[in-house]
Amino acid sequence: MHLIEWATSPWGQEVPIHIAWSLLWVSAIAGVGFLIVHAIYVKFMAKPAAHSAVVSSVDTARIPEKIQRHSFGARFFHAVMALSMLALLFTAFLPKVGVQFAWVEWHWIAGIVLTISVVYHIIHASFWLDFWSIWPDQQDRVDARNRIKLALGQSAQEPKKFAKYPLENKLYHLIVMLAGLSAIGTGVFMMKRVRTPFFTRNPYLFSDMTWGWMYVLHGLAGVGFVALVTVHIYFAIRPEKLFITKSMIFGSISRENYLEHHDPQRWVVAAEGASSGRPESKKAPA
Amino acid sequence: MPNVTPPKKYNLIGKNYTTGDLYAKVTGKAKYAEDYRADGMLFCKLALSPMPHARVRSIDASAALAMPGVKAILTADDLPAPANSITDNGTVILANPRGYQALTNEPLFQGQPILAVAAIDELTAAEAIEKIKINLEPLPFVVDPLVSLRPGGPNARTDGNAWVRLPPPPPKPGERPPVTPPDLQTVKWTNEDFEDAKSGRLPMGKATEEWHVGDIDAGFKNAALVLDETFVTPNTSHQCLETRTTMAYWQNGKVFVHTGTQSTAQTVPAIARWLGIDQSNVVFISEYTGGGFGSKITGDITLVIPALLSKKVGAPVMMRITREEENYIGRARPSLHGRMKVGFSKEGRITALDMFVICDNGPYDMVGDAFSSGRIVSVLYQPMAMRWRGLTILTNTPPRTSQSSPGGMQGIAIMEPVLAKAARKLGVDQVALRRINAPEGKAPFGPLVAGKQQYATSAFVKEALDRGAEQFKWNERKVNTGKRVGSKVRGVGVSVSSYSGGTIGFDGLFVIKPDGRIYIQSGVGNLGTESWTDVHRVVAELMGVPWDKCDITWGNTSKNLPWTCPSGGSQTTHAMTRAASAVATDAIKKLQEIAAKDLGGKPEDYVVANQRVARKGGGAGLTLAQAAQRAIQLGGKYDGHELPSDINKFTTVSATALAGQGLLAVAKDNYPHDGNTFSFVATFAEVEADVETGQYKILDFLAYADVGTVLHPNALGGQILGRSILGIGHTLGQKWVYDQHYGLPVSKRFHHTKPPTILDIPDKMAWGAVEIPDPETPIGARGIGEPPVGGGCAAIMNALSDALGDEIFRRAPITADVILASLEAGKPMQDPLRANI
Amino acid sequence: MAVIRDVIPAFELFQPTSVDDALALQARHGVKAWVLAGGLDSFDWFKDRIKRPEVVIDLSQVRELRGIRADANGLEIGAMTTLTEVVRHPVVREKYGILPDAAEAAASPQIRNQGTIGGNVSQDARCWYYRGGWPCYRAGGNICYADTPTGLNREHAILDANRCVAVNPSDTAPALIALDAKFVVRGPKGERVVNAEDYFVGPAIDITRMTILKPGDLLTSIRIPSTWAGSQFYFEKARDRKVWDFALVNVAAAVAMSGSSIERIRLVVNGVAAHPVRLTAVEAAVQGKPRNEETAKMAGELAIQGAEPLQYNGYKVPLMRNLVMRAIRGAAA
Repeated sequence: MHLIEWATSPWGQEVPIHIAWSLLWVSAIAGVGFLIVHAIYVKFMAKPAAHSAVVSSVDTARIPEKIQRHSFGARFFHAVMALSMLALLFTAFLPKVGVQFAWVEWHWIAGIVLTISVVYHIIHASFWLDFWSIWPDQQDRVDARNRIKLALGQSAQEPKKFAKYPLENKLYHLIVMLAGLSAIGTGVFMMKRVRTPFFTRNPYLFSDMTWGWMYVLHGLAGVGFVALVTVHIYFAIRPEKLFITKSMIFGSISRENYLEHHDPQRWVVAAEGASSGRPESKKAPA
Repeated sequence: MPNVTPPKKYNLIGKNYTTGDLYAKVTGKAKYAEDYRADGMLFCKLALSPMPHARVRSIDASAALAMPGVKAILTADDLPAPANSITDNGTVILANPRGYQALTNEPLFQGQPILAVAAIDELTAAEAIEKIKINLEPLPFVVDPLVSLRPGGPNARTDGNAWVRLPPPPPKPGERPPVTPPDLQTVKWTNEDFEDAKSGRLPMGKATEEWHVGDIDAGFKNAALVLDETFVTPNTSHQCLETRTTMAYWQNGKVFVHTGTQSTAQTVPAIARWLGIDQSNVVFISEYTGGGFGSKITGDITLVIPALLSKKVGAPVMMRITREEENYIGRARPSLHGRMKVGFSKEGRITALDMFVICDNGPYDMVGDAFSSGRIVSVLYQPMAMRWRGLTILTNTPPRTSQSSPGGMQGIAIMEPVLAKAARKLGVDQVALRRINAPEGKAPFGPLVAGKQQYATSAFVKEALDRGAEQFKWNERKVNTGKRVGSKVRGVGVSVSSYSGGTIGFDGLFVIKPDGRIYIQSGVGNLGTESWTDVHRVVAELMGVPWDKCDITWGNTSKNLPWTCPSGGSQTTHAMTRAASAVATDAIKKLQEIAAKDLGGKPEDYVVANQRVARKGGGAGLTLAQAAQRAIQLGGKYDGHELPSDINKFTTVSATALAGQGLLAVAKDNYPHDGNTFSFVATFAEVEADVETGQYKILDFLAYADVGTVLHPNALGGQILGRSILGIGHTLGQKWVYDQHYGLPVSKRFHHTKPPTILDIPDKMAWGAVEIPDPETPIGARGIGEPPVGGGCAAIMNALSDALGDEIFRRAPITADVILASLEAGKPMQDPLRANI
Repeated sequence: MAVIRDVIPAFELFQPTSVDDALALQARHGVKAWVLAGGLDSFDWFKDRIKRPEVVIDLSQVRELRGIRADANGLEIGAMTTLTEVVRHPVVREKYGILPDAAEAAASPQIRNQGTIGGNVSQDARCWYYRGGWPCYRAGGNICYADTPTGLNREHAILDANRCVAVNPSDTAPALIALDAKFVVRGPKGERVVNAEDYFVGPAIDITRMTILKPGDLLTSIRIPSTWAGSQFYFEKARDRKVWDFALVNVAAAVAMSGSSIERIRLVVNGVAAHPVRLTAVEAAVQGKPRNEETAKMAGELAIQGAEPLQYNGYKVPLMRNLVMRAIRGAAA
């Protein structure tokens, strides 16, 4: 199977033009395959999550009944981003699977919406949110190692509970960020190749070879998202994760969920009446 | 029917007849190069450069050569080094190391052949080509001469962008100075030079060549009207219907080559030079050629590909050239970007002419179109003072060569719209304006050579204009033009036109055999003009022999042909009627001498007539058959065992082979010749344009020629009208289209290049001839191939501007889009200067 | 690997004698198969070695695809009927004169003798970049070379361009749309009958195809209803040469008059977009109006609403406008 579609340039040189569209099916199958395997694993094989019995010395009574997990701005961003992403995927790939329609305008409009929402998100997350909360830290790495060891039946220290975002969440964000920035970065330049109100069309901005690799990167990110979005939706509807999904809609989680899944020391929540969302110490716990 | 009255004194000259190749041509029996087959013949295909300029880093043909049926590969490394050539008078023309070769390791245009593969059939050869890895390094390129002249603009070659002819070095005592190739220089203009381009006018930076005659400043000062106009002519492929297909094989050390050519005899030394072999080892066969128009004057250098492959594999090799390949290697006329500043007196006389041209040369050998355009404009319009400036700029586009009226056609196309506009501005009749500027008699032209201008042998342009205007009913027709009827508007146009019409100094050769027939040897190429046979009518005429008693041998150099002029520059009719006169005179002299020897008296007491040589006023004589028998008995000069010393060595070889077969007549044209021979045409056209679609059609067309004595009316008419159509094509639609980003052509198909079709040519076409013999040549006949071309182009343009006004076009061709867009905007709307749009 | 644009590569040739056999062959070989009608589009592609089908299904022996059947309901023209046959057919000439006018405007006599009506309407774009083998959108690539700052696009689209700016080159297509023809397409799922204008697709929908035909589909015939028989027709093709040239723009109109006003009209132009453009807005606007200069001018201006010329094809806007004007005026130009 080939990964990249090549063409002969006007100068007789072999240049990439885009990914092989069969990769779409590879990605879709990979996404679905992952969720099947995961579902089976969770149902039949996974041990109950074990966390360190060491409970942080937090006065649980002071934890409010509802804890805000996502601000309105963050939720709004997520909704816009999700919708534009779905629009991008459908406009990109429906024609490839035989559902033909005039997709190009919808695709770049959705792309612009996505780009704006991502720019907003970066600024918002950098200056108004706890920027570092989404990046894996040292504790995550230690815990991850321990969790794997435990899952494999080896002895290991029990991992700590999560900070605000579980490690899976953080890793997913990382991958989505890389794929998203690739798609956006290439997509913005690709808009020079179609008629839009913003640019004078100039397909000769880069060499044939550079353009070819940009299309390949865009395509890889695109098909990558097919799997990523499939997996994301799957997790969003898994019963044990539903509280997170709900929080992405309504903004908050319950005290029970907070205490069950999160380490109050790693995700410090303001006491009732106090302002919430105090940034966690940048110094990772040992 | 043409308005020709043959002079009474001739029985054959000026009369129509059926040429010896006609039946073969119309029945398909004629064999062109592609029709030949030889035992064990292989086919070859070419790998062409995909890039406009590149260097071959490496070639990996291993996979191709491993294929069954693939016999050999030929690359540039297999070619002999470019060799010098030597002219008839012994001048050495030094080879241009930057000249065009059949294959290359540094392609300078897309489509340039890099290698060739010979295989058992074309399918195998093509598949083999696809298996070859050619690693190319792209190099800077340019496909627009103005882009190359810009500050920092790319050069077509790594070492320059302009051909400049240097003055010859001073000759060493007792030696003829060799002709050196032009110098390759780098010419860039400044941004200030390009200011004019912003307003669509041709920028005029420093020229590389220049001449002037008279005081142009004074001429402009005294002018009643001064016009300054820019005009761009198109690059046009020759589009010969027969592509340059070649079949070649070797036998006993001799190479046998079948290909199209314009000139049979002259192709032999060219083949020898290109293959690096002796001329005596070349046998060249070309009985029929499907058009040349200047692109096959001595065949084409690509013929070495099958010849060298054949040598390599020891089997005959056929190279069939496709139409697309022909677009690349079939040569083309260079575009000229021109700017004319012209001063007119109030009567329309040209007081001063300042001409500036840039020739888009392509990447190889320098073409003379820029220089020639000035020469032709000078002879045709007789400006009282003139300056010519020019540049020949290299581009990465297919190599150019002469195309029917090279430079002349472009010069006329640039000049004529200015004259048409001037006549309208001055209120002078268009015909009158051309008449007042027309050359007459020994008309001077061109730059000063040794202190004075050269001059024409004769010119009867005023007569052509007068008779043409009368036949065309010019004065009646011009009244109702320019008025819209519905969406239609008519216009009439006139143009004068000229090109060179003859050379001198070639040989004639024939044998009167004891069967009483005359066996004429013709080294003229059969490129469709019929001059290969027409010129020999002079022999029959002067000998008083019926045409059916003459046999012509042509088209195969193993059959002992004489040294003959190249059929290019419209020289054949002139040069070879002279040679025919000379050789007929030689035969008559020999017949008279034989008669005097046998029958007594002096040679001058005898006349040759009615297939006899006999005493004047009746009496004893010999038939030609008897005389031929006697010539063999006498030997010596009579049967060719003694040959004149002034004939070309090529003729000597042929005559030696023919010696002893009868009375051998052989002679070189040594007639006097004062001046340069030109032919002229006055061309008239009426068009009807549709202002709603921009389309137009040519309603009526007349070309009236000043070509001296008419040799063969049907052939002359075919040339006048055929070459007019060639010119018309430049107005109607022929051009190249090049993508400047990649430097590649997009108009590669025959239909993209839009030669005119049978429905595009004028509804009515007529021709006439002034028929005043040229005083500087024995029969009085001049050539006609090229002179009509410029007129065909310009008369249509002038008719269009008569119909639609002066604000429509600034370049040719003039297509519907140009007309409609300009009419819509009220000003010329076409991109004015960009090449190949 | 060196590129060579000559010599048709070898392929497996099938010459079925029935539509069923042709369809079975198409089904068997799927995307590897190429359906050959008159060959005037196909052989270019083959000889240039750009399209390299493994299997060619030549329809020349399928008798049921040839010929014109005329009855009271109209005409049925087999897809393999040559353009010359269409031009010469007496009923076509008498009642549907716009079709022979259009068919006779195509190409040259030799090509019309060989070219079929099915092939003429189904032919691929003639964009010189695309036909030159450049890897453009239409060829499956990611660029349109004609719509670039240096692109040569004199013969390209002014309407409905979407990335690709090629135009539909057919002369008969607009005439057939004007006649409200129906195209009969047989494929793996049986027979479909589509309106002529729906047979063509633009690049927004499918950038690599000019028609709705997909692998396995076969255009079998063209039905022309009697609706417009004997109406007033207008066809005109503007072109560079008077024969052997594609249209710069062409126009076809069928007009039914009621007294001195237009009762019904179908008006189509081609050469301006990747599909023939039926001018429904103009049709509606001229309904009930007389065929005079005023209506013609209004129609012409309305027709070019939204036209977006490229660098070298600005003339197509007035050309389309004027041809529409002439179609409304009706007098033969």
